[in-house]
Amino acid sequence: MNLASRSMQTQMTGVEVSGQNLANVNTTGYSRQRVQIATTPDLTTSIGQEGTGASAVSIQQLVSNVLNNQIQSQSSTSGYWNSQQSALQGAQDALAEFLSGSSASGSTSTASDTSGTGLSTQLNSFFSAFSALSSSGSTSNRQAAISAGQALAATFNNLDTQFGNLKTSLNSSLTSDVTSANSLLTGIANLNGEISTAEFSGGNANDLRDAREQDLENLAQLTSVTTSTGTGGAVNVMVGGQTLVSGNTVSDNLQTYDAGNGQLLVQTMAGGVKLTLTGGSMQGTIDARDNTLATMQSSVNSLASTLINQVNTIHNSGYNASGGTGNTFFTGSGAADIGVSSTLTSDPSQLQLASSSTTTGDTSLALKIANLASAAQSTLNNATFGDDYDSTVAGLGSALNTANTQVTDQTQVTNMLATQRSSVSGVSVDEEMTNLMTFQRAYQASAQLVTTVNTMMGDLLAMKTS
Amino acid sequence: MRIATGSFTNSMLAQYNNLVSTESNLQSQVSTGLAVQSASDNPTAMQDTLGDIAQKTAQTQYTANITALQSRANVISGSLSSLQTITSRAGELATSAVSSDTSSATLTTYADEVNNLIGEVVTAANAKDPSSGQYLFGGTASGSAPYTTTTDANGNVTGVTYNGNSSVNQTQIGDGQTLSVDIPGENTGTGGARGLITDSQSGADLLNHLIALRNDLTSGNTAAITTDSANLQNDENNIAYQVANNGVQQSQLTLAASYASNRTSSLNTMISNSSSANLVNTMVQLNAAQTAYQAALESGTKIMQLSILNYLS
Repeated sequence: MNLASRSMQTQMTGVEVSGQNLANVNTTGYSRQRVQIATTPDLTTSIGQEGTGASAVSIQQLVSNVLNNQIQSQSSTSGYWNSQQSALQGAQDALAEFLSGSSASGSTSTASDTSGTGLSTQLNSFFSAFSALSSSGSTSNRQAAISAGQALAATFNNLDTQFGNLKTSLNSSLTSDVTSANSLLTGIANLNGEISTAEFSGGNANDLRDAREQDLENLAQLTSVTTSTGTGGAVNVMVGGQTLVSGNTVSDNLQTYDAGNGQLLVQTMAGGVKLTLTGGSMQGTIDARDNTLATMQSSVNSLASTLINQVNTIHNSGYNASGGTGNTFFTGSGAADIGVSSTLTSDPSQLQLASSSTTTGDTSLALKIANLASAAQSTLNNATFGDDYDSTVAGLGSALNTANTQVTDQTQVTNMLATQRSSVSGVSVDEEMTNLMTFQRAYQASAQLVTTVNTMMGDLLAMKTS
Repeated sequence: MRIATGSFTNSMLAQYNNLVSTESNLQSQVSTGLAVQSASDNPTAMQDTLGDIAQKTAQTQYTANITALQSRANVISGSLSSLQTITSRAGELATSAVSSDTSSATLTTYADEVNNLIGEVVTAANAKDPSSGQYLFGGTASGSAPYTTTTDANGNVTGVTYNGNSSVNQTQIGDGQTLSVDIPGENTGTGGARGLITDSQSGADLLNHLIALRNDLTSGNTAAITTDSANLQNDENNIAYQVANNGVQQSQLTLAASYASNRTSSLNTMISNSSSANLVNTMVQLNAAQTAYQAALESGTKIMQLSILNYLS
């Protein structure tokens, strides 16, 4: 009867484990479990060793630490490129430099209607307006040139604002990541403690280990982490060479600090150690902000300041329609504050196009400004205004293209590793249902054994009373 | 390989996302006709296309400039025709005046006609461009009429003053190419555009020569009229030069317009090569993607419907 009873309990445990697996078939990070059944110690009898049945000795979690470590590592790479992609996509949107067109006939694209948007269009319009002005210094042409200058200046201003907003947004993202990382570090330390307590008396805290692995992977998404095994099943966590979790204790937290000009970086909170991160979304955000975006902002700013200097140098040397002088065309010194002089916007005749105060019908300076379109600028690496800007656009496009490719590749790698891990740790409904039936049948057999023994005992007792 | 239930659905969803993304991208290419819409699609192609669009914008502006110059050249041509007629007539009058049988009454009649011709020359020399309202023959000086006259008590022009200068505005008509169709009224220097009325290179001084002719006709000084006739020949030659030069400039403009048109077509082709979608290929790819998506959905839903649970009672 004991053997049958133990067997029923053992099969019941199997049913419970299968039920647990089925219940968690859609739980992220869950690793399937298996009940380990072993024969119980034999009894020595006069006729030899007699079996006593079987019992459940443990509930084992099916995991591959190799795959877990690989996924953790790849999570950092994925986080890095995902944040780069997001930041650079934002930069491309801020630049608003897109091609537009339409295949009106629906059959073929002739490209005759393909046009750009953003700063390139405004630059082209600006130089075209001065080219037209060189043909005729009429009031309407003067007004058109001033309007083109205003539109160009407004586009520069808008770009600078967009870049500023993007930088603020990336700093917020970095701060948010640091907050999330600190929360995960606390979670990991707590789980270390709970696992240690749970496993103190033997066995495995499977679900707690799953939760900790999930936290580690989430942390790795944020920043590259190094782990080591501590005592009592704990995992110690290091970020940027600094130990942040030791056993069930959070040794230190992360915080952002301003390295100057609103450039947020990461350091340890208590130790104040400035960290050199190597992966994860935090470093991706920092790299996108300090490399590609900073380069792009600097390029656009150089473009604006060079344009201001070159146009004003020509314009300021000239005379207006009344023979007067003394007005600049562009005000400001860069993309942030470039504008057209209010004197000109309120009175187009103040535009200084003549090379002499006595030749007020002279538009030679308009021609000189128009010729700037094809003039190499030493401050722009001997590129023209248009070529320099196109190069900036292409540089951003190349960086985003690389990020897109890396994200696609990384997604493939992550999916492949997830599939591999799932083949070890994932729950299969078919498999669990089969196991369930197996345990059910074994339970039925064990119950039948009880019935049989009970019948035998009944027969024995009947012999005595009859 | 063991396939877990979640693994299958995750893979299936990833495949669906990939196929939908591909379809979306291809559909966007078909609807816009562009394979490159942003720099990240193809950085090099984007850079080339932006450069080509800038070139195309410049060619469009050159074409507009050429059209404006052609219009102005036509107006100038009309003025030149008038001046050519005037100088020709003045020369005829001078030639007739020195004939032996010309009476003093006839000379007076000639003088009256020359007086009218002087007025016509002043009117022609002060002509404006109808489109811009600017004086055609004042050089780059602006604001007042190129020629103002001094008259006697009878209203006859006794002298003229040129208020303009000898400079002309240049206009872009091509890459690194400029042209001016303007003619200054006077150029007493040795370089630059030749003056229309007064030009030291050709010896032209039409208004003063006409005034001298009128005065000589009035006084009957035939010896001086002979000199006037020779001077007027210089004026006539100068106008003929300006007419010829105007014709050459109009030919230049026609050539420049043709070049700009061809260059624009060429740039359109380059832009198309860099950024346009090959619709035939794109449509074929879109059909393939649609077929794959349909197959993935059908196979996925069929497989999803089946498990061991279907056979348990």
